[in-house]
Formats: sequence, structure tokens, C-alpha cells
Amino acid sequence: MANVKLTNVKKIYGKDTVAVQDFNLEIADMEFVVFVGPSGCGKSTTLRMIAGLEDISEGTVEIDGVVVNDLQPRDRNIAMVFQNYALYPHLTVFENMAFPLRLKKMPQDEVYKRVVNAAEILGITEYLTRKPRALSGGQRQRVAIGRAMVRDSKVFLMDEPLSNLDAKLRNQMRAEIILLRQKIDTTFIYVTHDQTEAMTLGDRIVIMKDGFIQQVGTPTEVFDMPVNLFVAEFIGAPKMNAFKTNLVYEDGKYYVTPYGAKIEVTGKKADMLRERNITSREIILGVRPEHVNLADKADASAIPCTIRVNEMMGSELHLHVVEDNGDKLIVRIPTVSLEDEQRKEMVYGSTIYITFEGKVMHFFDPETNENLLT
Amino acid sequence: MKTENKIKKSGLGARASRRISNTIIYIVLIAITLTWLFPFFGILMESFKVNEKGMDGELFPEVWGFDNYIRLFKETDFLKWFINTALMGIATAVFQTFFVLSMSYTLSRLRFKARKPLMNLMLILGMFPGFLTMILIYKVFSEAGLTMEMAPVGLVIVYCASSGMGYYISKGFFDTIPKTLDEAARVDGATRMQVFYKVIMPLSGSIVIYTILMGFMAPWGDFMLASYIIHENSAGMSVAVGMFEWLSKTMLNTNYTMFCAAGVIVAIPVTAVFLALQKYYVEGVTGGAVKG
Repeated sequence: MANVKLTNVKKIYGKDTVAVQDFNLEIADMEFVVFVGPSGCGKSTTLRMIAGLEDISEGTVEIDGVVVNDLQPRDRNIAMVFQNYALYPHLTVFENMAFPLRLKKMPQDEVYKRVVNAAEILGITEYLTRKPRALSGGQRQRVAIGRAMVRDSKVFLMDEPLSNLDAKLRNQMRAEIILLRQKIDTTFIYVTHDQTEAMTLGDRIVIMKDGFIQQVGTPTEVFDMPVNLFVAEFIGAPKMNAFKTNLVYEDGKYYVTPYGAKIEVTGKKADMLRERNITSREIILGVRPEHVNLADKADASAIPCTIRVNEMMGSELHLHVVEDNGDKLIVRIPTVSLEDEQRKEMVYGSTIYITFEGKVMHFFDPETNENLLT
Repeated sequence: MKTENKIKKSGLGARASRRISNTIIYIVLIAITLTWLFPFFGILMESFKVNEKGMDGELFPEVWGFDNYIRLFKETDFLKWFINTALMGIATAVFQTFFVLSMSYTLSRLRFKARKPLMNLMLILGMFPGFLTMILIYKVFSEAGLTMEMAPVGLVIVYCASSGMGYYISKGFFDTIPKTLDEAARVDGATRMQVFYKVIMPLSGSIVIYTILMGFMAPWGDFMLASYIIHENSAGMSVAVGMFEWLSKTMLNTNYTMFCAAGVIVAIPVTAVFLALQKYYVEGVTGGAVKG
């Protein structure tokens, strides 16, 4: 249980390779924070700096108000789960989990109590006498989590713990981590490149790119109000459609005019544009695939598109379509809303008419890629 | 039909040609093995000859017996030399293993400025023959009183002093152990030293055994440096030097069978140590450590 504070943290490899810079973040006690971003964005490096596995080039890292820059990992009272499990192959599951306790010279019965307790929570009691090589991937990752759990560490660090698991197991373990979190009262810092994990696990998400923090916020905040185009495209799957078009201010109303269509901006978004006194200008329009609707051919807001790929996901249909001038868009349609006839017509090469939901559009500056409304 | 026949023919052809190439390979391998083993077999046979006082040109003894072995211990200082060498072997194995493994682990895991230059320097230094320094070593050791009957101590120092430079093999092994194991242990509360002996050492059985074997075997085969430092002092002799001294003073021809018996005895400890330790050569010990 502890708060973690990073102030102006910077990491330089060699002479001039900057991995992380201007990293400022305060993580509250018991908070679950997720660092997310594409590979090479510096998220793991930041986590390793908190763990003490990487030197901090500039800035300070504090755990519970104590600057830990020069402390060894073992003196920071942290626990960490690694992507590749990092179990000790020569030790049994029990001894793997007891390892940190034995190093502390904890009495045998206390070691036993803690390991068995953690094993029960994780459902690995029957494997305690096995060696790691006799376990499946999911079981190994549970042992790794167990090894981190048995200690009363101040901060629980997880470096892409689910990346090595197959998709089904990953979903299951993700749910288990959410449950686990309620059982362990500690501060979590979790690193992933998977936006689904970030959205489902985090109290707050830190989105990183090229060593810089792009946005810090709750899952809802980053999804509804991404500060820039990068965040907008990174969060949400399939990714947001984005293309250049014009914002038109006419008779007190806002319209966007993509591909010759004219779609009115409504609701809160229109109010926000008005509050900021934004007039007609060129923009990058962002529309999430789930906010693309089918339209009637006759509507002024209808955009004709040709279907290139049809992905039937079961509960929804993902259509990759091409607009006349070559722009690619993704459309996500719940299958319940489609008649059988309609669905049959949606094949490669056929034309559909789409429009965008006016109240959930995103507007970005074409030069800076910043959100016009944040 | 035609294609079918073709396929059948080509199948038969492939099988036949594989059999022929296998036969050739086996013949060559067996020939090499016999050539290699023959001298050892010859020495073993010579050592069992009784009442033979020289090379008689026969492979098998006319009369079998242990005379040569008994005479070896009665008529020469062989036991003393043998004990000297064995003690040197044990001491060298202990110290050399410590130096080599610490050096290799350091070079494998720690990153410091002089790491690369140091590794290159040691690689280049290792290319010079060791006896280049013989005169200097003798000078230093004779001043320090580490020659003659104290030679075994001096020789152990020589064998161990530069042993860290032979880091390549163990470093290569340590490089294959995932670094995340070290990191996990360090986060779990281990010091670098604890990481080394609680995590890395148990996983390095085969390389530890290899290093011990190399250290133990060094004094048994070293002649040049040893003879220089021992300097005809029987009390400090190793088997290699002792046997040569004794042969040069007597006639090779007359004591040939006894010489062979000594050779067989020298082979025993090295073979025994190897056999005793080889079961610890556990392969794939890192299985399941990290995602493969």
C-alpha cells in the first residue's frame, strides 16, 4: 500500500537514445494504473525504472514519499510479475512462491501459511509440488502472480503478464486479475500494449508514445475525449476512422461535409464547438466504427462506399469499405439490427450507403492532430 | 502406371543410396575410433605384462599379472607424486571454478565501461603461449620460496591466477539463462551474490562440472612449466615430471611396462571424477523457466 510519484523522469540509453521523457505522474494508494502504448513507447522502461531494474537518467521516483532512485530493487518493497513468468526452474511451485519469503528469513510456518493461502486464491494448490516445466502457460503465470502476492509489497508491478497466453486464456486471466485486485489491497501498475486490457483493468490509463505521455485519464475519459488523434486511434477496436474534411458553421449550426455529404453535428459536441467559438475550418474528423450507421441512398448525409472485406464476428459485422476517392473506412454494425436480406447483400464489391452519428464525432486539428475540444 | 513405377523406383533408389552412405559413414567412424583407442588399449595390455623388461613387439602379454603396478609403488616415489598431483588437482579445481564462474557471470550480467575492452584484452592475451612467462614466473617463485618441494603450491597459483581469462565457455552458458530470472530474484529481495548462488548456480550444473573437471585435469597433463618449477626435487614432483625424471635416469626400454602401468593409474582418477560427476550433466534444466 503506497502512493507512487514520478517527477520529470527521463531515461536515456547510451549517449542520445531517449526512451522516456517528461514523465510526470502521481499514482494514488490502492490505485490500478495501466501504462499502454505501442512497442517502443517507453512503457516497460518506465515500469522497470520504478522497479529499480533500470537506472533513472533524470528526475525522481518516489514510493510512499521516499525517493527510491538509488535504492536496489530489493530495498524498494515492490513485487513484479514478468511477461515470460521468470519462474525458477529448479524449484517447485511451493519453493518458487516461498523464495521471496525465504530471503527475508521468515519462519517456516508463516511461509507455509502465506504460500498455501496464495495458492488457494489462485487455484494452484494441487500443483505446489510440481516444477514449473510441468505446468501450462496459464498455471505458470498464476505461480508468478502468487510469488508476487505472498509478500506484503507496497506496489505490485506487472509487465505484460498476459501477452504470452492464448486469446481465450488471456480473457480468463484478465477477469481473474480484476477479482484478484479486490483481494489484494495494494497499488497496481500494469503495462500492456493491448488497449482492451488497459480499458478493462485500469482505474486510470496512461497512454504513451515515443517516450512521452499522451494522455492520462479514466477509461471513459480517454475513450470519449481523446486529446489527440494518436490516442483516438489507439483506444478502441477496431480503430477510429479518421480523414480530412471541413467543418461548416451555418446559421448557428455545425455540419461536417465528408465526401460530399452534409451531416449535422448535434448534442454536447455541437455545444462544445459553440462554447469555443469555432467557425468553419478544415479538420480531421474522427468517427468510431460503431458510430457509423447505414443510411438511405436519398439522404443528404449518405456516403456511397464499396465493400472490400466483410468480417462476421457473430454479434456484429465489421465491414471494411472504400469511399469513391480511395479512403478506407471501417463500419461496425450489430447483427441484430440487420435483416437477413440486407446481410446477404453485404458482399465484396457491393455498394452501401453510410452516415455518421452526429453527437459522437471527434474533431482534430489537421496540423497538430490535437483535439479541438480539449 | 508409368509415373507409379517411377515413384516406386525413386523411392527404392533413395532408400538404397541412404543405406550406402550410412555404411560408408559407419566404416569411417569405426576406423577413426579404433585408431584412437588402440594406443590406450596397447598401454593397458603392456601394463599387465609380467617379467617383460622392454618392448617386445607383442600386443597381448604372455603372462598376465600386476607386477608392474607393485614395482611402481615399491621402487619409485610414484605414490608421493600421485598424491602431490591429486592435491594440486583438487586445489586447482576449487579455486579455478570460483574464479572462472565469478568472472563469467560478471561479464555476462553486469554492464560496465571496461567490459568490452577487458574481454578483448583477455582474448588477445590468451593467444600467447603460457611458457613465454616461464622465466619470470620461475624468478618470482624462487624468490618467494615456491619452487622445489613447495612447487605444488606455486603451480596451483599459476594454474589459478589467470584462469578467469578462460571465461568464454561459461559466459556463453550464462548468456543463455534468461536475464529476467536475475531480475525476478532481485525484485524478490536477493542480492547479486544471492542471485548467483541461489538461482544461477543451481541452473548451471553442467557448466560447473565442466569447469571443475578442467581444473582437476590441468596438473595431470602439465609437464613443461611443472618440470621447470619443480626442478628435479622428488618431494615436489607431479606424476608427469616424476615419470619423466625417472625414465630419463633409467632406460626407457627396460622400464617400459612399468611406465605403462603408471599411465593407467594416472588415467584412473580423471576417469573416476568424470564418471562420478557426469550424472549431474542434466540437460534442459531450464525447461519451463520462461516462455520458450
